[in-house]
Amino acid sequence: MSSTPQLLFKNRIPGKTAFLKEYCKTGGYSALVKALKTMSPAEIVQLVKSSGLRGRGGAGFSTGLKWSFFPSDKPAPKYLVCNCDEMEPGTYKDGELLAADPHQLVEGMVLSAYALNVDEGYIFIRYAYEGQFKNLQKAVAEAKKAGYLGKNILGSGFDFELHLHGSAGRYILGEETALLNGLEGKRPNPRIKPPFPAERGLFGRPTTVNNVETLANIPHIINGGSEWFKGLARNPEGAGTKLFGLSGHLNVTECFELPVGIPLSEIVEVYGGGVWKSRKFKACLPGGASTPYLTAEHMDIPLDFDTLAAVGSRFGTAGVTVFDDKTCMVAVTLNLLQFFARESCGWCTPCRDGLPLVCWLLEKIEKGQGTMGDLEMLKEQYRHIGGRSFCALAEGAMGPLDGLMRLFEQEVIDHIEKGHCPF
Amino acid sequence: MPTLTIDNQTVIVAEGGSVLDAAIALGIVVPHYCYHPALGAVGACRQCAVTILEGSQKGLKMACLIPAEDDMQVSTCEEEAVAFRAQVGEWLMTNHPHDCPVCDEGGECQLQEMTIGAGHGIRRYRGNKRTYLNQDLGPFVAQEMNRCIQCYRCVRTYKDYCGGEDFGVMGSQQRVFFGRFKDGPLESDFSGNLIDFCPTGVFTDRTNRFRTRSWDLQQAPSICPHCSLGCSILPGGRYQELQRVRAGGNRLTNDSFICDRARFGSDWNNHPKRPREARISGEKVEFPYALELLEERLEKLVEEYGGETLRLLGSPRASFEANLLLKKLAEKYGAPAPYYDAHPRRAFAARMAASIPSGQLASLKQLRESDLILLVGVDPLAEAPVLALALRQAARAGARIVALDPRPLELPCDFEHHPLTQESLLRGLSAPEENELLESLRQQLETSQRPVLVGGGELLGGEGLRLLLHFSESCCGSHDCLIFPVLHGPNSFGGGILGATGDSNRNLIEDLENGNVRALICVETDPAIEHSEPGRMQLALSRLELLAVFDHLPTNTVATADIFLPTRTIYECAGTFINNEGRMQAFDPVLEPGIPIVVTGSGGHPPRQFETTPPGSAPRSAVHLLQWLLKDRNDLFGLRRQIIKELPCLRDLDRLAAGDNGRRIADCGDTLEESRTEIWAQEGELQVLPITARYGSDLYSRWSQSLTSRFEEPSVWIHPVEAAERGFVNGQKVVLRTVVGHFHLPLVFKAKMARGRLIVPCLPGTPLEVFTPGGLSLPCKIYSEVDNA
Amino acid sequence: MKKLLLKKEIDAFRKKAQKLEHPREMVIDLLRAIQDHFGWVPDAGVELAADILGVPPIEVEEVATFYDKIYRQKVGRYPIHICDSICCWIRGGEEIAAHLQQQLGIKLGQTTSDGLFTLLPTCCLGGCGRAPSIMVGKRFYGHLTCDGLDQIIAQLREEAVG
Ligand SMILES: Cc1cc2nc3c(=O)[nH]c(=O)nc-3n(C[C@H](O)[C@H](O)[C@H](O)COP(=O)(O)O)c2cc1C
Ligand code: SF4
Ligand code: SF4
Ligand code: FES
Repeated sequence: MSSTPQLLFKNRIPGKTAFLKEYCKTGGYSALVKALKTMSPAEIVQLVKSSGLRGRGGAGFSTGLKWSFFPSDKPAPKYLVCNCDEMEPGTYKDGELLAADPHQLVEGMVLSAYALNVDEGYIFIRYAYEGQFKNLQKAVAEAKKAGYLGKNILGSGFDFELHLHGSAGRYILGEETALLNGLEGKRPNPRIKPPFPAERGLFGRPTTVNNVETLANIPHIINGGSEWFKGLARNPEGAGTKLFGLSGHLNVTECFELPVGIPLSEIVEVYGGGVWKSRKFKACLPGGASTPYLTAEHMDIPLDFDTLAAVGSRFGTAGVTVFDDKTCMVAVTLNLLQFFARESCGWCTPCRDGLPLVCWLLEKIEKGQGTMGDLEMLKEQYRHIGGRSFCALAEGAMGPLDGLMRLFEQEVIDHIEKGHCPF
Repeated sequence: MPTLTIDNQTVIVAEGGSVLDAAIALGIVVPHYCYHPALGAVGACRQCAVTILEGSQKGLKMACLIPAEDDMQVSTCEEEAVAFRAQVGEWLMTNHPHDCPVCDEGGECQLQEMTIGAGHGIRRYRGNKRTYLNQDLGPFVAQEMNRCIQCYRCVRTYKDYCGGEDFGVMGSQQRVFFGRFKDGPLESDFSGNLIDFCPTGVFTDRTNRFRTRSWDLQQAPSICPHCSLGCSILPGGRYQELQRVRAGGNRLTNDSFICDRARFGSDWNNHPKRPREARISGEKVEFPYALELLEERLEKLVEEYGGETLRLLGSPRASFEANLLLKKLAEKYGAPAPYYDAHPRRAFAARMAASIPSGQLASLKQLRESDLILLVGVDPLAEAPVLALALRQAARAGARIVALDPRPLELPCDFEHHPLTQESLLRGLSAPEENELLESLRQQLETSQRPVLVGGGELLGGEGLRLLLHFSESCCGSHDCLIFPVLHGPNSFGGGILGATGDSNRNLIEDLENGNVRALICVETDPAIEHSEPGRMQLALSRLELLAVFDHLPTNTVATADIFLPTRTIYECAGTFINNEGRMQAFDPVLEPGIPIVVTGSGGHPPRQFETTPPGSAPRSAVHLLQWLLKDRNDLFGLRRQIIKELPCLRDLDRLAAGDNGRRIADCGDTLEESRTEIWAQEGELQVLPITARYGSDLYSRWSQSLTSRFEEPSVWIHPVEAAERGFVNGQKVVLRTVVGHFHLPLVFKAKMARGRLIVPCLPGTPLEVFTPGGLSLPCKIYSEVDNA
Repeated sequence: MKKLLLKKEIDAFRKKAQKLEHPREMVIDLLRAIQDHFGWVPDAGVELAADILGVPPIEVEEVATFYDKIYRQKVGRYPIHICDSICCWIRGGEEIAAHLQQQLGIKLGQTTSDGLFTLLPTCCLGGCGRAPSIMVGKRFYGHLTCDGLDQIIAQLREEAVG
């Protein structure tokens, strides 16, 4: 089945965590040794840029490009922050990674810090990842003791201090500027941009925020080179592997490391073991709760950032949630919107007050009490919320609503015409 | 300065201005909530959408967040933006209780106006509304959270701008709550600004709840009479009752903020004991009769004994016009020039401040923009509260604030405090080059860009202010070091301009005690409160043959006057005050004088007023009374023109309009070269320093019932080390012996005050009211109550 | 009375607060520590945290009330967070919630009279592959069935006694 080379999951043994010994056995920290001895920071940035690695936190921005904007020459302190908030429904890959092999993140962070000339780092971990938090605590202690972290790492003269921060719940903290406020102990509302974190981030200092999986890829890119990394993907534009977290109405709902560009059909049929209860595939969220639905007609599209954007969806976090043909998409959308409404930080009007209004409309329709006017109003809400909120949370909430109206409008109309949910 | 076009109209805005600023400047209504000129833009409410047709960012954007650019083309009328603004209006109103008919904000509610401006009319949402439990925030501010639209202005006002530490935003999503950690009175001295800044009726004036619809109010721009800063205010009232005060707007002084003393301390105007009828020896008489009698007696007195036997006392409370007419009256009767403050040391401080070259005086705006501020002998929250706000804004922009003051100062910002005694401050200033601290501060002031020295007239006196002026000259590096003197009352500076030369050592009380003075006219002042030795003054007054008083406050001196004439308050007449930086500012009448109908009527409707006085006896303005005595028939404008002729430094006086930004006086002449003899106590002898309390000891607060909840308990303060040396414990009852009496008081430890001194706040209505601030510290002895017995 | 935090923990936090350039960054650590120790964060806990950080209580409250895993109201010894987000919800999350409510005789948001359990709906727990799921305190349980739930409750009851 899995012929994909395993990078991120190479040490994964269900129920066990690889710590320093296991990690080093398969080449752990060799990238760090290599980089500190033979590579300049600029070379690393260049390598990551040419590797085609794109942010795994959801937005898919080129990591190397983002790093190249970082003002490395500014005086300390500067910060590297790892985003392990991972609270978007359908997304659990970072948790899996840290449960299996936490040292990858530590090594990836030291390397990234070296590349960016940053001397202090934070890993921001969501409340529910208590086990992962403990794994990281242990990994950090081990790395420190082994000289991979702390002062004068491997005698290179490079220092890097790494702190862990356990959060206390709330999806918005995944948004990078809200996360920085959270780290500072302030109310985690997103910040206005510009200034971007690279200019004024944590405690007003230059900061870069990256996703767990993004950072964990760095050691592999250093060891394998950019061409090799690019070649891992199935599609020519793609690069690397990707952790796909499967969920929903599949027979197998696990997390797999698979090549970027793999088609949806393979995910569903091969890795997901087909739709459960021998039912049919109806739709899926391809990359977390904020990504517009794909349907059966999208089965052959290679799963990657640009290919999914081309069909009006997003690759997001590659958390694939599948819905079978007995699922009411109005109800699914309502559930998703309720999530976003509840997780709104309360700062801006379209999100704070607009999303509850959307929920009210969807609930009405789902209960069979909706009118065609409500559908019109729903469309209006979609038009007005999208792109006009303060941060991307409300924007993300429009993903499923967009999918509903573009792909399942008839289902909405059925609710209205029949006066009840047809499912 | 970018030039851009909005809806085909071209406008130039200041550098750094936004598209919203440009629209406002053109008078184009773009509804907005979270943006406020004093608070800046945060992009939260999303109400201000416009379409950028040409510019570096195109499309539908929030006008408050887009910097104005040259050649930008903006439209507010594109269909999409219009629809979006209406949608934002609908969102904001989803949970609104629609309780406008019972809301005090109704009629002046920005939410009403801007919802209509946004084009939202009918709410389509039919679900349950989110509701909140309100908090009890104390006697000043009422909260009704259900009306909240989550614009975050209140936190940004209370916490960010005013530095309050007991208010914030809690919760998340659609359930954010703006309030305190627990129920309880708001602690900030600027809490009332919540009322002005909340665009809807969440925070309303609790002292004026359910009494007036805003459209029924009589309002007129005015100037706050509580301290010398001259903040612009907008008082309102009806039925002859002053009901509320809101902040006016003057970007050169208070911007859009006022202190709680100003906002909630105006009910002295309606005081039930306010004297409203003319009296002769305590008996009510008809107004004209009293006035004629006064004239007759004055003429007779002058004829028989000469003008020398008459003294006139003006005041920092009275308008500049009244004070000037008093001077003319002195001339008419051949009397010595009037005093303008019964407190000789304060009077000298005012004269000294008024002689500082106008260009060297700082405005509050300049303070907000300063990068290094040295406070010398001034407690902003007690003497000039809005000054503290200006300091905070400077500090937020990165300024350093250093304070030299014996009191345990508190400020709503970070500052460095050196608790020096009054005497060591004065001695230090008299030879700053020998004082290490002052020398190092001098060097820092010299090298900063926009330094300002703030000097407190109360502590420093005129002598100290003069020394400070010399010090400031030595601090001028490449940039001038400006001075910001803090004085006693709203027109102290005006009195300072009028004060006679050569009388620096004059003292009203000595004149009364020694000489052949037979008559005294007091205009809107009570010398027995204002003088540094109230008891002695009272005795001296009682020996006068004729004591005539024009006033509107129920003072003791009013009660004992031989001839009393009631005057109109600042809210009932027009006039001018000159604030501490020499800014002339006009005020307009808000109300007719007369007994508030709530007092005379029984609350029935329509309210009825039953006159208890003969017609024609309503109070008249002090200006009017003095003009009558002078047979001067000028109207106010004519009077001002005449003043300009005599005092060219006030040349812009006739161009003032109430509600404008006021105009600075021009230089009045040379810096005062007189000095006042003062003997400064030695360090080492225990002395007691009377000070202004935060609430109660300014000119008006003591008659303001709304403020009494803020009055502190009488106590005497001591540094803990000083106390330990004498074996005292915190809270212990002690006996304090001074020349003004002896007092049984609890001893309160204040770790941040100067050593070697005791401090007593002057508190009206308590035995401590005799401790008039403004003088030097007094010798004293202190015992524990037990030892004393 | 149970203490908010052990004296030695308080001392450690105070020491750290003095060392840090921005002590406020510890606010979540502090609130979580108080919650771990005391079970929830009462007003006094907010005040204690504020005191250690050297900020007014409202500044702590502003943060504490934002997060849903900081309990500002008393909860049972075992707060049960029932995931109601999409992956659990489409795989029987609602039945789990209904079953728990029925078994414990309380509604969402309520605490059992013995003070053991509080039911709280929560968003995605990151257990999407093991739906439906709950989190009891910080312990995660996935692939739940009604029978499985009964066992968990029974175990927890036993644990509470033991
Ligand atoms: C509402 C919201 C939630 C987010 N949650 C996460 C998250 O849980 N993890 C994450 O890595 N990025 C999250 N992001 C994206 C981050 O803001 C940021 O783009 C990302 O951490 C950058 O890292 P990357 O470039 O490595 O992907 C979220 C963004 C938004 C708007
Ligand atoms: S879209 Fe607005 S309210 Fe929603 S999370 Fe972002 S800033 Fe907060
Ligand atoms: S209380 Fe008033 S100022 Fe504060 S957020 Fe609500 S509407 Fe805005
Ligand atoms: S005024 Fe522009 S977003 Fe609120």
